[in-house]
Amino acid sequence: MSQLTEAHHIPPMMEGVFVREAQDGRPHLLGGYCAACDRRYFPRPSYCRTCLEPVEETDLGTDGFLHAFTVVRIRPPLGFPQPYAVGYVDLAVGGLRVFCLVDPDRIGELKIGIPVELRVASFGDDGAGERRLRPYFTPATTGVAL
Amino acid sequence: MNQVSIVGVGMIPFGRHPERSLVSMAAEAARAALRDAKVEPSEVGAGFFSNGLAARLFSDHTIGQNVFWEVGINRIPVYNIENACTSASTAFCLAWSQVAAGQVDVAMVVGAEKMYVPELGLIHSGQSELDTQLGLVAPAGFALRAKRHMAEFGTTEAQLAAVAVKNRRHAGLNPYAQFREPITLEDVIAAPMIVDPLTRLQCCPNADGAAAVVLAGPGFVASRRGGEAAGRAIRVHAAVYCTGSYENPQDLTNWETDERGCRLAYETAGMGPENLDVVECHDAFTISEILHYEALGLCPVGEGGRLVESGETSLGGRIPVNPSGGLLSRGHPPGATGAAQLFEIVTQLRGEAGSRQVEGARVGLAHCMGGDKAADSKSCTVVIMSR
Repeated sequence: MSQLTEAHHIPPMMEGVFVREAQDGRPHLLGGYCAACDRRYFPRPSYCRTCLEPVEETDLGTDGFLHAFTVVRIRPPLGFPQPYAVGYVDLAVGGLRVFCLVDPDRIGELKIGIPVELRVASFGDDGAGERRLRPYFTPATTGVAL
Repeated sequence: MNQVSIVGVGMIPFGRHPERSLVSMAAEAARAALRDAKVEPSEVGAGFFSNGLAARLFSDHTIGQNVFWEVGINRIPVYNIENACTSASTAFCLAWSQVAAGQVDVAMVVGAEKMYVPELGLIHSGQSELDTQLGLVAPAGFALRAKRHMAEFGTTEAQLAAVAVKNRRHAGLNPYAQFREPITLEDVIAAPMIVDPLTRLQCCPNADGAAAVVLAGPGFVASRRGGEAAGRAIRVHAAVYCTGSYENPQDLTNWETDERGCRLAYETAGMGPENLDVVECHDAFTISEILHYEALGLCPVGEGGRLVESGETSLGGRIPVNPSGGLLSRGHPPGATGAAQLFEIVTQLRGEAGSRQVEGARVGLAHCMGGDKAADSKSCTVVIMSR
């Protein structure tokens, strides 16, 4: 779709939330990990809540299952398409349930429990009309690696 | 700790008040509460003013001093409180703690909001938060909960809509409510879809409004014994405020914070849901009231949709919820809502609620919730009162 085009010069809507292309060539979500406490976080906080030591950045992968989704039909914020979809995804790695955008072009295919995978594209703006990259989940085509 | 009583309440009708300033609305509610309590301005030892949006909408700050000055109260400590939807009830919990500790004999809470302005836009949990940047507008978080509740417990669109119909029917009996024309299940379901499955009539409307509460300790209440004011005093058995756990993963069919807040309030009061005669809860969306039934223990987990459908939470039912019309029909000015809920419960427990009176109401509960962080609520307040 036109609004989700590849655009390497467009900045992310926030630093440290995703990488566009990990070693496997796919976009990955980033979070935080405290090795001492074996705790994962999304998004990455400054300190581990258990030991108050700094939390290191960690790869939360690219796959998950759609726990819930809905379609926002009112006039959208941040230059999003109308309508757009959001949901919660249970990540295949690490056990976290994360709030996320869901592919607005595939709303009709969404069902609770389906496997989904991460994409990154030009999606909405910064609130002042400047395009931004955002992560979103779409129904999986590559199969979920557990 | 000292026994705290509510000795006065006041509010203005919620609605569109484009000609009114925030301070003038707040002052009118404050004056009404002082008159109701038969308390002189000089007797108030601490003032708490709550507001959610004026800093953003009007660049106004430290408004409480202006409000209390308008009703003859100065020199005393005045606190300005912002806590999203629970701003006023959080202010009440703070005021309660000062009176309970004996720090002041009389404290006063005034909550006000002016939000019918073009600048308002969509309500969210904070512009710089990740969830907001990923499109979490306020109704979406509740819609996702509705979808999970429907999937896990078979809650239906008609049951969701029944909350809006019931609260509108109640609002028709409340001169302080903004929307009072009756609506049907068909009206609610056919209204424009906001966020699936919540239609416009399932989302609380904006409002301009103000409400105020006067609290007093045992010394003050005793000094007025025999007087009309003391006879109408309402005892506070619990005033609990807690914040979220934000643990991951969260169960979307309840808020852990909601359950914990209700449980703490019951423990503090030495009461349970079976003791309640009337409840005001934070029905920001239809699904919210259903989830709060379950957190409050008014029905088993998963049964909230069937409870509203049964009529047990309607006026005349086993445990009437939101006899005022709730946020859904009264309107939701975040800075004032918590105080308006207390106004309603106090009015009910005094037996002064007119055609919406819950017959023989002796024990009441006011419940409020606000903010969103990591799929949890940022705040929950629960106040249990009796006459």
